[in-house]
Amino acid sequence: MNPSVYPVAIFFAAIFTNNILLTNYLGMCSFLSVSREIKTSLGLGAAVIFVMAVTSALNWIVYEYILIPLDLTYLRYIVFIIVIAAFVQIVEMIIERVSETLYAALGIFLPLITVNCAILGASLFMVIRQYNFLSSFMYGFGSGIGWSIAILAMAGIRQKLKNAKIPRGLEGAGITLIITGMMALAFIGFTGMIKIS
Amino acid sequence: MKYPKSILDKFRPSFEPGGKLSFFKPIFDALDYFLFLAPRTTKNPPFGRDPLDVKRYMSLVILGLVPSFLAALYFFGWRVLLILIVSYIAGGSVEVLFALIRKEEINEGFLVTGFIYPLILPPGIPLWMVAVGIVFGVFIGKEIFGGTGRNVFNPALIGRLFLALGYPAAMTGSWVKPGWLPWGKLLSSFTIGPPDAVTSASPLVLAKSGQFTPLFNLFVGNVSGSLGETSAIAILLGGLFLLIVGVASYRTVFSVLLSFVGFNVLLRLVAPSVVNPVLFNLLSGGILFGSFFMATDPVSSPVTQAGKWTYGIIIGLVTILIRSFSGFVEGMMFAILFGNICAPIIDEVIIRTKMRRYAREE
Repeated sequence: MNPSVYPVAIFFAAIFTNNILLTNYLGMCSFLSVSREIKTSLGLGAAVIFVMAVTSALNWIVYEYILIPLDLTYLRYIVFIIVIAAFVQIVEMIIERVSETLYAALGIFLPLITVNCAILGASLFMVIRQYNFLSSFMYGFGSGIGWSIAILAMAGIRQKLKNAKIPRGLEGAGITLIITGMMALAFIGFTGMIKIS
Repeated sequence: MKYPKSILDKFRPSFEPGGKLSFFKPIFDALDYFLFLAPRTTKNPPFGRDPLDVKRYMSLVILGLVPSFLAALYFFGWRVLLILIVSYIAGGSVEVLFALIRKEEINEGFLVTGFIYPLILPPGIPLWMVAVGIVFGVFIGKEIFGGTGRNVFNPALIGRLFLALGYPAAMTGSWVKPGWLPWGKLLSSFTIGPPDAVTSASPLVLAKSGQFTPLFNLFVGNVSGSLGETSAIAILLGGLFLLIVGVASYRTVFSVLLSFVGFNVLLRLVAPSVVNPVLFNLLSGGILFGSFFMATDPVSSPVTQAGKWTYGIIIGLVTILIRSFSGFVEGMMFAILFGNICAPIIDEVIIRTKMRRYAREE
């Protein structure tokens, strides 16, 4: 593939063919608990897109210019988590000072994101697949969008399910996991459309 | 719904007592009652004004499917009937079981699912697989959501997808060469088990290697493929009937087909080597059958009108993308499932924008 279009291909692949939620099943915990309402899903989705895109880029810089020169790559799990947590904290503080309304809208979700495994997952995949800076950023950005699409669709479905008669044992997480499985079935169709190494 | 109704109304006087044909009134009433509700006013509430209820809706859909079913019988022989019976018995038992457990009425909704499902299967499929697929589709795709009208996805589609991904080798190896003039396969004997090695690749598979089936064959239907999807003319016959009586939403059908054709033209300009010609693509595979009979499922498609257009455009686009660029030769079932997934949120967005607009106008 032409190297100049590679980041764009990665962007679309991260949304559809390699959706981080529906093909890797990462970020399930917040997906299950927050998808109950459309409004909160939208808020969390926006926060995930932002944090994932920026932390992928930040972690790339940290990995390439600090961890590799110092031969500390085995510490990447801890370092990545620290970078993500620190970034989320800083963003939270800035938002609190700058915009009271945005803080009210996103406030609850930002701390939640620190423990969203999809964010750490995106950073680790970027290392495994040896992306360059731009590709890492696009991968994080696309994964965030893919994750948000999935949670929004799920929120819509759960809204519709309020009229359904689900067996008592399957209410809540049970039926949500089954629906997630069926969503993943549809995403299998995209397999092979765009390849990301 | 109005047009066929007015034809019936025109003949009504001659069937009334004293009319020329009053002897045949029961037959007229039966037809009237089958297609529409008899024009009697109920004495007690609730007073519904729409003559269309679930039962009549389902009978009309089955009528619309009859041409495709007959075409399947003609091209692929009597085994089709056997597949239909297995589908009804296996899926029907799940339906009845749940009705018993829930202490609810047995719902006629299953009659349509059990009829559509065989028509999207390959002709040579082993019968036990037919049963497994429909049981999975009805159980996981419909009953755990509470039964007819409450499901999020199309149950027939879930069953078909389960088979396609669970038994890929058996499914792609089950294409059978269709019969042709004068009697199709109606006179040939059939086997209960899968027919022996007479498999022939479907037009979309052949197209990957550059062999394009003639359009005439695709239109008539003597090509390899899933039972009901091969004959375009039979699908159009039944599909147009559903559009005229208003059971299938023309918004969904047209938007799927228009978006499919539109994006096909565009993509062919960009990548002519991987994208098939427009007419070939339109007549082959499941695009016609899916758009008329499966995408229009009122339960799993959006309720709002703008929602139906959006939903159709998404389905058409995803189908042509999967067909041209992914590892699968046909993308219709994935595309409809993808549409089903998006349907609730599309509706939600459209209803909210409308509410906001009304709020602003006031």
